[in-house]
Formats: sequence, structure tokens, C-alpha cells
Amino acid sequence: MITVRIPTPLRSLTGGEEQVQAPGETVKAVIETLEQKHPGLRDRLLDDKGVRRFVNIYVGDEDIRFLDGLETKLKAGDEISIVPAIAGG
Amino acid sequence: MAETRARKRVLIVGLGGLGCPALSVLARESELELWLCDDDVVELSNLHRQTLYRDADVGHDKLEAAQQALILGGVAPARLVAVRSRLLPENARQLVSQVDLVLEGADNFATKFLAADAAHLEARPIVHGAAVRWVATAWAVSAGGAPCYRCLFEDVPPGAQQGCSEAGVMGPVVGFCGALMADLALRVLSGDGSAFASLYTYDGQRDHLRQVAARGRADCALCGPSPSITDILEARYCTPSCAA
Repeated sequence: MITVRIPTPLRSLTGGEEQVQAPGETVKAVIETLEQKHPGLRDRLLDDKGVRRFVNIYVGDEDIRFLDGLETKLKAGDEISIVPAIAGG
Repeated sequence: MAETRARKRVLIVGLGGLGCPALSVLARESELELWLCDDDVVELSNLHRQTLYRDADVGHDKLEAAQQALILGGVAPARLVAVRSRLLPENARQLVSQVDLVLEGADNFATKFLAADAAHLEARPIVHGAAVRWVATAWAVSAGGAPCYRCLFEDVPPGAQQGCSEAGVMGPVVGFCGALMADLALRVLSGDGSAFASLYTYDGQRDHLRQVAARGRADCALCGPSPSITDILEARYCTPSCAA
């Protein structure tokens, strides 16, 4: 299973959960799996070009833009972090 | 490059939840001149996190209330420069060009991108910070500008975004983030190149500080090899803004 850390602005889609788990061999597969359980999550992360431009997705400490993007391979125990642009203070 | 002066100048963009704690720390550094940029007034809902203000300041200008608090704390008035405006397309480059570092704690994306663009175009380092509810982010961008704010977030998100006024923000989280921003600012001003290119994310619910490498985007519109952003155009920052 892959652990996905959900940022505050998206927790309304996960019932307030700050982290969720899902199976998947790639980042894209995990997002698709999560979409089944948490409808709307995919659209907040992706558009028709890929990862939305004000969102960054990390596997461990690596930005997937510098790995294989949404096709980045995952292994059991990996953690995905979503870092959206936030403005507040 | 900035001219050599007796005091380094820091432009504080936004005297809110991040600007207040950052200022409290930076004000103790006697070699700094602090340019305070805000045109907002203190609201009752600010007081739990905007630590320079008191009940009696509600309804008064943040700029004056902040200066008063700092001077009462022993800061020489000559070290404080009041900029009675928010950062705007028409004043951004002129303001940024006069300082050695920008510390940006604005609560709206338009100002964040504007500050990032102005800092890059004027070759000034900038420290960004943001916080919503229990989460905060901070990072420093070098005068060379890469990786920059647009490398991570590209452009102003469309539509209404949840900010502190809608989602709320926890006082200790902005206090932590503001202190981290001040730390980054002091490191940058002291010439510590290791302050750059790390994105810090703080989760106040788990007391967890995460540091990941921020990398430049090859096609970045601001700091990439063929930039499309070469000047400040107002239309680029046209989303509704709220008070800093």
C-alpha cells in the first residue's frame, strides 16, 4: 500500500483525513484508485496536461517532475506528498 | 546589485500573521533597515496570530501599529521605513530595487507572484512564506532567481482559493513559519548559499518539519532560459486580492 499525505485544502474530499492509503504501481494509478473512494480528488490534482501547475507531487522527497511524472513507479511503503500553492498568513 | 550601505534593507511584504513574527525577530538585528509594506487595518480576528497588535489597535493601520510596537520594544525609528501601500504592479520593481532582500508573507496569490517576479527582475533574493490552518510553507529564492516561485507553482491559480480568511490559520503555525522565514532571511543576508532551493513544509498537527529540494523548471516562464516574463504587467496579477 502507498500512503498519500493530503494537504489541508484537499481534506474536505477525504472526510478530513490527513493521510489515506491506496494500492498502485504508479503515481497515476494511486490517484485513480483514490478517485474511486474520494471523488473529486483527481480533478484537484490533474488536468488534461497532467499535474496541475500550482500543485507539486512528491514521492518521498523527490518531486515527480524530476522522476517519471505520473508514471513514476512506486513500491510498497512509499509515501506520496501533495504540496499545493497556498496563500495565507 | 544593491549598493553597499551601513544597514541591509529588508522589504516586509504584508504585516500579517507571518510578517509580525518575522519582524519581531528581524527587528532585533540592529544592522537591518526594515521597510514595512501594508495598507491594511488591524481587525479583531487578526489578534490571535498577528502578535504585534493589541486590542486597542483594532481599526487602526497595521503600518502604524507595527511601528509603534517595534519602537516601544526598543527599535530605533530610523531603522523603520513605512511604505503605505500594498505591493502593486506599479510600485513593485521600484520598491524591490531599493532593498537587499524581500520577505513575502502576503495572503493572496497575486501578491506572491508579483513579489516573486519583481524580485527576479530586480535580481534580489526573496523569502516566501504561507500558512493555512495547520500547514505552512517557506523557502528562499536567490538573487539569481532559480529555482523560483514559478518553478514550483507556475502561475496564479484560477478561481477562488481557500486562504486564511476562509480556512483559518493557527497562531503557533504562523509564528513558527514567520520565525523560519526570518531565519532564512538572515542566512541569505549573511551569504549562506545553503539557504536556497529547499522547500520547507511545517505540519503543526504533527509538529513535523519537512525539507525537500526545490528544483528549477526547465521551461520556467520567469527564470528559465527563454523567459516570457520580462516585465511586470498588471493583467498577470488580476485575480481578486485580499488584504496582506
